Amino acid sequence: MNFQMPFTRRELLARTGTGLGALGLASLLAQDATAEAASPLAPKVAHFPAKAKHVIHLFMNGGPSQVDTFDPKPALKKFHGQQPTTAGLKTERKTGGLYQSPFAFKKCGKSGIEVSEIFPEIGKCIDDICVIRSMHTNIPNHEPGLLLMTCGNTQPIRPSMGSWLLYGLGTENQNLPGFVVLCPGKPVVGPALWNNSFLPGVYQGCHIANLDPKRVIDHIRNKNLTPETQREQLDLLNGLNKMHADKRAGDDQLDARIQSLEMAFRMQTEATDAFDVSKEATKTREEYGKGYFADACLTARRLVERGVRMVQVFYGSGQPWDDHGDIEKGHRTKAADSDKAVAALLRDLKRSGLLEETLVLWGGEFGRTPTSEGSNGRDHNHHGFSVFLAGGGVKGGMAYGSTDEFGFSAVEKKVHVHDLHATILHQMGINHEKLTYRYSGRDFRLTDVHGVVVKDILA
Amino acid sequence: MSWPRTVLALLVAPLFADRLTAADDPKAVEFFEAKIRPVLVEKCYKCHSEKAAKADKLRGGLLLDTVAGWQKGGDTGKAIVPGKPAEGTFLKSLRHEGEIQMPPDGKLPAAVVADFEKWIKDGAVDPRTDTTTTVKAAGLDLEKGRQFWSLQSPKPQTVPTNAEQSSIDRFVRAKWDEKGLRPVPQADLRTLVRRVTFDLTGLPPTPEEVEAFVADQSPKAWEKLINRLLKSPRYGERWGRYWLDVARYAEDQAHTFGVTPKKNAYLYRDWVIQAFNDDMPYDQFVRLQVAGDLMAEPKDDLFKRLAGMGFLGLGAEYYKNTAREQAIAEELDDRVDTLTRGFLGLTVSCARCHDHKFDPIPTRDYYSIAGIYYGSNLTQSPLAKPDELKKYNDAQAKVTAAEELVNHFLGDAGKAAAKEAAALTAKYLEAAHKIRTAKARPQEFVSKDGLNRYFLDRWVKFLDPANASKAPAVFKDWFALKADAKPEEVGTAAAAVQSKLVSVDVPDIVPVKNKKSAGKTSDPLTKAMFLDATAPLFVAPADAEKMFVTADVKPKLAELRGEVEKQKKASPVAPLTAHIVSGGEQGMKVYIRGNPATKGEDAPKGFLQVLSKTDAKPAAKPFTRLDLANAIASPDNPLTARVIVNRVWAWHFGRGLVNTPSNFGSLGDRPSHPELLDHLAVEFVKNGSSLKWLHKQILLTNVYRLAAEPNADNNKTDGGNVYLWRGTRKRLDVEAWRDSLLGVSGNLDETLGGPTFDLRDANAKRRTVYAKISRHELDGLLRLFDFPDANVTADRRNVTTVPQQQLFALNSEFMIAQAKAFANRLEKLGKTDADRVTAAYHLAFNRPPEAKERELAVAFLKMPAKPSDTLTRWQQYAQALLASNEFLYVD
Repeated sequence: MNFQMPFTRRELLARTGTGLGALGLASLLAQDATAEAASPLAPKVAHFPAKAKHVIHLFMNGGPSQVDTFDPKPALKKFHGQQPTTAGLKTERKTGGLYQSPFAFKKCGKSGIEVSEIFPEIGKCIDDICVIRSMHTNIPNHEPGLLLMTCGNTQPIRPSMGSWLLYGLGTENQNLPGFVVLCPGKPVVGPALWNNSFLPGVYQGCHIANLDPKRVIDHIRNKNLTPETQREQLDLLNGLNKMHADKRAGDDQLDARIQSLEMAFRMQTEATDAFDVSKEATKTREEYGKGYFADACLTARRLVERGVRMVQVFYGSGQPWDDHGDIEKGHRTKAADSDKAVAALLRDLKRSGLLEETLVLWGGEFGRTPTSEGSNGRDHNHHGFSVFLAGGGVKGGMAYGSTDEFGFSAVEKKVHVHDLHATILHQMGINHEKLTYRYSGRDFRLTDVHGVVVKDILA
Repeated sequence: MSWPRTVLALLVAPLFADRLTAADDPKAVEFFEAKIRPVLVEKCYKCHSEKAAKADKLRGGLLLDTVAGWQKGGDTGKAIVPGKPAEGTFLKSLRHEGEIQMPPDGKLPAAVVADFEKWIKDGAVDPRTDTTTTVKAAGLDLEKGRQFWSLQSPKPQTVPTNAEQSSIDRFVRAKWDEKGLRPVPQADLRTLVRRVTFDLTGLPPTPEEVEAFVADQSPKAWEKLINRLLKSPRYGERWGRYWLDVARYAEDQAHTFGVTPKKNAYLYRDWVIQAFNDDMPYDQFVRLQVAGDLMAEPKDDLFKRLAGMGFLGLGAEYYKNTAREQAIAEELDDRVDTLTRGFLGLTVSCARCHDHKFDPIPTRDYYSIAGIYYGSNLTQSPLAKPDELKKYNDAQAKVTAAEELVNHFLGDAGKAAAKEAAALTAKYLEAAHKIRTAKARPQEFVSKDGLNRYFLDRWVKFLDPANASKAPAVFKDWFALKADAKPEEVGTAAAAVQSKLVSVDVPDIVPVKNKKSAGKTSDPLTKAMFLDATAPLFVAPADAEKMFVTADVKPKLAELRGEVEKQKKASPVAPLTAHIVSGGEQGMKVYIRGNPATKGEDAPKGFLQVLSKTDAKPAAKPFTRLDLANAIASPDNPLTARVIVNRVWAWHFGRGLVNTPSNFGSLGDRPSHPELLDHLAVEFVKNGSSLKWLHKQILLTNVYRLAAEPNADNNKTDGGNVYLWRGTRKRLDVEAWRDSLLGVSGNLDETLGGPTFDLRDANAKRRTVYAKISRHELDGLLRLFDFPDANVTADRRNVTTVPQQQLFALNSEFMIAQAKAFANRLEKLGKTDADRVTAAYHLAFNRPPEAKERELAVAFLKMPAKPSDTLTRWQQYAQALLASNEFLYVD
C-alpha cells in the first residue's frame, strides 16, 4: 500500500538522481512494503556486482610522512641538508633543507616492495597490499585535508563517504549501526568527518569513543528492568500499538515503528555482543596487541563480520601523526603502537576469507615534507603522499604511482583523493558518477565533478 | 534538459586564410601528426573533446579536438596563440606554471612539452578539419526565462463556484471534481482539537480544553479555538522553530579551529519567536533579517531592528589559514544560498560555477548578490541607543582607570622589591650555584643571607645550564663556570654580573601610559632581567600583592580596590549584543568555474536580472544590501509571497502546494493547485502579509478537518494525497514529542526565551526550541529524530524510523524520568487503577480508553512487581503510554 510511508519511498526516489533511482528502486520493488523495505537502511542492490561489501578505513590522522613509511627516497640521504630542486612548492609553513629519513627501508615479501623498518609486521603483509605512492590533495591544513579525505569537500557541508555508502547500499545487519566510527576522543574537525549533512540523519556515522560494550551505543542498556520484565513491558506496548494500528489500517509507518521497537529490543543484546572483544581467543587478542587502537582494529573485524558497511578507525584523538618536531621519535612510537594491530587485522581478515570482501584503507589526510621543519620535524604536504589499500578486489604486492626523487610531489600516475573515493565506490559496486542525491536544486556526489577510478590497481 | 540557450555554431572562416598557407607545409603537418595529435588524443581528449562534452565531461570549457575549439579557448581565456608560446593557457598548464596543471595524472615528459612549444612557435599548424557545434552556449535567454510560471507575478484568481464555503475549499473541491476524487469524512471533534493544538502550539491540549471544545455547541467554536491558540505564546515557539530550520539557525560552527561559539545566538531565536507571536508583517520580517541595521525603523526598539540580522550574522565561518579566498567564497555561498532558497525558493548557488543549468540565472547574478556581502564581517552590535552606550562606555572607562591604579600600586611594590633584590645579585647567584651543584637547601640562604625565596627560586630557574644559550651576554662567564668551580671563581663571576647589572635602571613592571621607559623598553638586558615572564627579577602584580605589600600600605590598596568596586557598581549592565553581518559591499568579479584565482567579468552589485524590470535604467547609485532587502520584500516580487504561503501550507498539511518549498525553479515541483497558490499569495499581500491571517484562512476550511483515513478508490488515483482528499497523519517532530512528554508528565517549564540549555541534561524541562543547536556536534537526541543539519537551510524534515530511536524511548534517563513523573501525577487523579488509566488516556491521548484498553492496562498493573526491577508496574505502564505510537503520531 502506498498510504503514508515514513520517509516515503516516493520522496526518496524523487530525490535520487537517475542512477540511484535504479539502485534504490530495484531493492524497494523487490520486496513488499514491509517494515524492512521501508527502512532506509535495508540492503540495496548495487549498480554492478561488487568486489567488496565493507570498508575499513584506518585513518592515521595528522598525516604520516610518506618518505618515512612507504615511499623510500635514497636521494634524501645524498642531498641531506640541501635545498630541494622542487623549491617553491608551498606547504603550510616554511621548511628548511632536505631531511633524510631516520629509518631504514627493507624489501618485503615476494613483491620486494620497500617498507620502513618502523612497520615490520605490515611489511610482512605487503603481498596483500597495494601502496599508492602518488596521492595528492588540495590544501596542506588538517581541517580541509581531513574533510576532503572523509567527505570529498574541503568545507564541512557534505556527507561523509560512510554516509554515502549507507545511502547507496544500506547495511546488512539492521541490529547494528551501519557506519561506525571509532575514535577515543575527537579528531580535529570532529563530527563533521562522519556527518550525513543533507542526507537523512539515519546515514550519520555512529561515533563510539568508549569501547566498553555496555556503553557503545546511546541508551543501549536498560538500567531499571530485567530483560524479562522489559519483555513484559514491550508486550504491553505492542498490545497498545496493535490496537491503535488496527483502527488505522494500511499505515505502513505505524507497523514500521512496531518492528523497530522489536529490533531495538534485540539490539540490546546483539550490539553489546558485537563490541565485546573479551569474547575473542587469547591468542587473537595477543596478535592484535594492547591499547585502544588494537582493540578498535579487532572491533572493526567483529563489526564487518556482522555485516556493518563501513568502520572508520581514527588512530587517535586530535591529530596524533602530526610530527612537526622530532619525526623519528614521534613516528617510531606511533608505528610501534599500531604496526601489530594493522597487520593482525589484515591476517585475521585473510584467514576468515573476509579480506576478499573487505576493502581496507590505511592513510592520513596528507603527507609530510621531505624537507625539515625546525631541526628534525616535517611540515604538512599535500603535493604527494602515500596510502595503502588491501583486500576488496585490489591487487596485492603492488606499488602504484610515484613521487619526485625527493618524495615531495606526486608525478607519475597521480591519484587525487577524489580518484581514491571513486575507486573505493567502484569496488563497492557503485558508479561514483551515478550515486547522487538531489539537494538544493542539483545532484550532489561524493566526488563532486571529479574522480577517475584507478583501474590499474584492481585485481 | 537544458535551459533554452542559443547554440552558437562557430564559423571561423576569416582565420582560415592564414592557416591554409601554414597547413600546406607538409613538414609542419607531419610534425603535428607525429608529435602533437597522438598526445592530444591520448592525454587530452578524455576531458577536452566533443565526445567529452556530450558525456557531460568537458572540463574548463576547452575543446582540443578541433581547431575551432582551441582557437576559441576555454573559460580562462585563449588556449593557444599561434606563433606565441608565451601566450595562452595551454602551454602554461603543461608546464605546471600556474593554477591549472595538466594532464591531471602527471606532468608530461620535458621532451613532449618542448614539442608543443615548437609546434606553437611554428604557427600551430593543425590540419584537422572537423567543425564543432558545442563550443559554448551564448548565455541565457532571460526574456524566455521570465515566462516560467513562478517568475510571473501571481494573478488574482476567480474562485470556482461549488458547494464549498471558503475559497480555499472551493479551489480544492474543484480539483477533486476534476480528478474524480471523493473526500473522506471529517475527523471527530477530539481528533480535531488535538490536531490543531499540536499544529499551532506543538503541544497537546489539556483534558479541560478538549472537553470545553467538545461541549461548545456554538458555530464559532472552531474559530474561537483557533483564535485562542494563535494568541498563545506557545504558537511563536512552534512556528518560529519552522523558520529556524530555513535559517539554519545554530550557535556555533561545524569546525572549531579559530572560531568561537556565538554566545548571544539565542537573541535571533527569540527574535523569530517574537516576530511570529506579534504577527510581524512578512515583508518587514524579510527586511529586518536582511538589512535591519540599515533601516530607520523601528528606531527605538533595537532588539526588534537588529536581532533578526542573526539570519546571516550566525552564518558559516570557515578556516582561512591557507586557502583564504576559497574559504571566503564558501562563506559567501552560505549567504547567497540561505538567502535565495530561504526567501525566494531559487537555487541561485547553482550558478556559482557556471550559468544555472535549469533556471534563468547567469553566473554574473550569483556574484552580483555575493558582491553585496564581499568584504563584510560577522560582527556584534550592541542593543543600546547611542546615549545608553556612551553611558556604559564612560562607566567602563572609569572602572578601567580605577583598576589601573591598583595595578600600578602593585607594580610599584614589585618594583621596589626587585630593586632591592637587584642590589644583592651576586649573593643570589652564589646561592643558586650552591643549590644546583651542592644540592643546598634554598631555605638556608633565606634565613642566613636574608635572600627572598621568590627571587631565589626564579634565579635558580633562570640560571639552569639549559638556558645558557638564551641568556644575555653578561652571563657568558657565569655559564662557563664548571660545576666544581672554586668558591673564589664563583664569587668573582657573580660580582662581575652584578657590576654589569648596576647600570640597568629598574623599569616599571606595569606599563604606565605616556611614559616612554615603562614596561616597553627595547633594551634586551632590561627585558631579560626584569620584564620577561622568565626574568629572575620579574614580579607579576598578583605576586607583588602576595609578597611585597606590607601591612602599612594595605589600607591604601584596600581603598583603591574599593574604588574599583564602586565604579563597577556605578556602571550600567553591559548591553546585549546581537550577531549581525555588516560592512563590506565591495562587489565582485565573476569567479570562472567558481575559482577565486580565475576572475572574469565584473558583476556589479545587484539583484537577479530575471526578477528585475527589463526597462530599468542603470542605477545612479550602487546597489546596497538595503536595496536587496527591498527587492526581496517587494510586493512586485513574484516569488516571495508564493514561497512563504507555500511553506506555511506545507507546515500545516505536511505537503506543499509546491512540494519543493525551497525550489520554485524548473527542477522543483509544479504546483498541484496553481490557482489556489496564486490566490493565497495575492490575498496574503492584500491582508498585510499577516501570517496569522493566513493560518486562519487555512485552518477554517473543511479540507483541514478531513479525517486521516484511507479510501481504496482514491488511493488508486492519488495515493500520495496530492489533492488533499484526506487528512495527514503526522509523526511529531522531535521538539513536539519531547515537549509533549514533559507536558503530559507535568514537568514542562514554560519560561519564554533566554539563553540556551543543554539537552544532554536529562533533567532539563524547558521547551526543546530553547535547546542548544550545534553545527559542530548536533545533540544526539535531535540527530536521532531527524533534526536537520544546521549547516545548511532546510525546508522540511525527513521522517525516518530506526531502532536507536526506540532505544531512547525504552531506556533513556529522560524517558524514565517522565514515566515516573507521569505515574506520580496519575496516582493523584483516581482511587482505582481503572480510574487512573482513564485519567492517563485523557492526558496522553485526549480521549477515554476503550474497554479492552482498560482491561489490558489493569491486567498488566496487577502483575506482581519483581524485586530486581527499580520501576513499579505503574511506572512501566506510564512509560509504555508515553512510548506508544498514539503518543507519537497525530491523526
